[in-house]
Amino acid sequence: MESILKLRNVSKKYGDQEILKSINLEVEAGEIHGLLGENGAGKSTLLNILFGRAVIRETGGYSGEIYFQGKEINIKNSHDAIKMGIGMVHQEFALIPDMTVAENIKLGREDVYSLTERLLGSGLALIDKEKNHQSTQMILKQLGVDIDSRLKVLNLSVNFKQFVELAREISKENLDLLILDEPTAALGQDDVPCFLALMNELSSRGIAIIFVSHRLEEVMAVCHRITVLRDGEKVAALGRDDFDINHIAESMIGHAICQAQAQTRNISGAIILQYLNFSVDMPGEAIENINLDVYKGEMLGIVSLSGHGKLALGNGTVGLYPSSGQVLLDGKKINTAEAGQAINSGIYLLPEERREAGLLLKHSILENVIFSAVQQKKRFLKPSIFPPLSFIDKKMSLSYVKEIIQHLDIRCHSPRQEVGQLSGGNQQKVCLARALAMEPHVLFIAEPTRGIDIRAKEIILEKLLDINREIGTTMLIASSELGEIKRICNRIVVMYEGRIFAILPSDCDDIELALALSGERLESSC
Amino acid sequence: MLKGRQNAAQIIILFFLGLMVLLAWHSGLSNTRLLNDSLVRLFMNGILVLSLLPMLKVGAGINYGLPVGIQAGLLGMCAAVNYRLTGISGLFAALLFACIGGVLFGYAYARILNLLKGKEEIAGIFIGFAFVFIMSFFWAVAPFSNAGMLWPIGGKGLRPTIGLDNYFSKVLNKLWVLNLGDIILPVGMGLFFALLCLLLYAFYKTKIGIASTAVGENENFARLSGIDVERIRILAIILSTVLAAVGICIYAQSYGFVELYDAPLMMAFPAASAILIGGSMGAGTSIIQVIIGTFLFQSVYVYTGPIANTLLLPEVSEIVRVIIVNGIILYALLYEGRREKA
Repeated sequence: MESILKLRNVSKKYGDQEILKSINLEVEAGEIHGLLGENGAGKSTLLNILFGRAVIRETGGYSGEIYFQGKEINIKNSHDAIKMGIGMVHQEFALIPDMTVAENIKLGREDVYSLTERLLGSGLALIDKEKNHQSTQMILKQLGVDIDSRLKVLNLSVNFKQFVELAREISKENLDLLILDEPTAALGQDDVPCFLALMNELSSRGIAIIFVSHRLEEVMAVCHRITVLRDGEKVAALGRDDFDINHIAESMIGHAICQAQAQTRNISGAIILQYLNFSVDMPGEAIENINLDVYKGEMLGIVSLSGHGKLALGNGTVGLYPSSGQVLLDGKKINTAEAGQAINSGIYLLPEERREAGLLLKHSILENVIFSAVQQKKRFLKPSIFPPLSFIDKKMSLSYVKEIIQHLDIRCHSPRQEVGQLSGGNQQKVCLARALAMEPHVLFIAEPTRGIDIRAKEIILEKLLDINREIGTTMLIASSELGEIKRICNRIVVMYEGRIFAILPSDCDDIELALALSGERLESSC
Repeated sequence: MLKGRQNAAQIIILFFLGLMVLLAWHSGLSNTRLLNDSLVRLFMNGILVLSLLPMLKVGAGINYGLPVGIQAGLLGMCAAVNYRLTGISGLFAALLFACIGGVLFGYAYARILNLLKGKEEIAGIFIGFAFVFIMSFFWAVAPFSNAGMLWPIGGKGLRPTIGLDNYFSKVLNKLWVLNLGDIILPVGMGLFFALLCLLLYAFYKTKIGIASTAVGENENFARLSGIDVERIRILAIILSTVLAAVGICIYAQSYGFVELYDAPLMMAFPAASAILIGGSMGAGTSIIQVIIGTFLFQSVYVYTGPIANTLLLPEVSEIVRVIIVNGIILYALLYEGRREKA
């Protein structure tokens, strides 16, 4: 078979960071090609390049060559891609909720009354609703779903929306390559086989498919070949005969280089934080009915794929998102409805978006470090008759900040330097310093090492362990860096679809962990 | 690069002002007198511009709803005039009434703006406009009894313009006047303005002040530190409104008249223009920028009048002013738009 898509040495940089490193890839007509990798491995970037998304061009484009149907192409925008015959089903739906199913599917390609088209031109021609409805119904029938195409999309369930997306793509007549970005994530278990069968049917019609999914079993069931990406590099290319779920999982994760390492410690049996039927309504990361005991002084890792709820626990506890159920700190109930309540009782959170929510970028290191302690603990304040209007004790705060700069090894030329000028690693240390000034009993940290270079990463992990050991702060670390979590945590909570899927010891098998993330259990351990 | 662009408005104005000084010199007008007038107008208008600061710093944008605070000030002055309070004590009584009104109006205004987070500027314009006419109704029926304030015929409803000559006209202007040759310095009014600047500066060094700056720069950050963002915003908006109320009292005593009904309608625009000339770019605005901006703006205002009158037709000066005031707001909006895109 001839190859329909060929990538040669495709690379992409965002600033200084190389996201894709010389990727070579070939997809044949009628092939279903699986693309696997952890979060941040570069899958989405690759898909964005293929579909000509604006982000790629705005950040300086890509390098390397892409051949489509034997010709070298340069995809400038999504419109180009569609014209060439590339379709994409997005992870987030690209549907217009207020239009009907038929209108969504036929958008831009509507059937019109031919007389009006001749009189007024195609742009102003009158749309033949009935005909659109009928042809849409045909397409949907092919897909094996039964929806009335006159329904508005906003009234459809998530499952059906996914099918509408797909129907829109396959109803394009010149479709040669279909990109599916996690299409089954939104589907219920019952609909998945149906969806996979549909993919097979499309493939038999000669349409090539690039299939991205975190559910390894699906990928193995339906794909002809699999390419695995890790840190922007192609680390494995497997034909159907070489499929082995453990091998695939292993190549996705790679082998972590161990540096910072938690010492084995005995965690006292005392429970510091207890969740009872705790649900958090965080858009895109909702969790439901969590029951969890956190022990005093432990480092608890929380991992999940994005969208499966690893961030919601912390955010719900400190009251950033509405929650229900109970949270007990040292046996006392915490009011999570009100922001500030949890923080007052000794819980603190360092958010995942460091620059967006974790720092005052235009303020100095000094101001950042003391901020929370000033506001909540009333530390570093001069005595005053009317406490809310008390001034900062400059001497006390300066000496404290100088000390902590040294302790955490924050590289800066003065405590008064603007935080925005620091590197990512040093910014994270400033966040950590702020948390330390709060002297929290429980510290939530989301993605502590995101966007930080390898050296600074180890320092931060080391400091986290130090703080945990010396002060005894209980830490809950939500991260997508499995290797790091395994190294520094005592237990690992794996979330899947908003629930706790498994609680694994930190010395668990890499493969077991990777499988648990995809909502599957290692067969031997079942 | 950001810094360079930020100063563009100031550079244009400075250039324009330089031209004015040359033209004034050329047409035989006294630059000392004109600059002196600019300084007096800085003290006169400065507090109104200063009142924009708390809202800017808390992230609620430029307070185009300035008339809300102004109405509180007018109410305060009308109350003082009604009780025939005169002199400095009369002014301070008016200020006290104005502050009470400012707190009440400010609270209601803040509650509305909290519901319209992110659209404060446009909401402010409409709230300000609507409030002017609600108050017009009030002025027409309010039970004031001092005949000097009421319509001479019929004796009901307040006059559009109430002269303050018998009450506290220019009491602050005339307090501790310093004559230095050609220059006449109203030290009292200057000190009052400086005092308010200093108090506001000190406020931003306190715990609440710092919290309010943080809310303006990064709401999520503030929330994660356990700050009640809504409460801080309400406080800042009340502070803005009270300052506006004080500002109009100082302005009116200097001007000599209380102007009611639709007079406050357009008051927000010159103030906004002044703070924008000062180089204000959102939450990072400083008090120095307020002072520089107001001075530059008022100088242009003072200069254009006589120069246009001597060189062109007498009516032109007002036209030129309106173009400048609104042109600068437009410039700032364009700049803001460009920055958001980047």
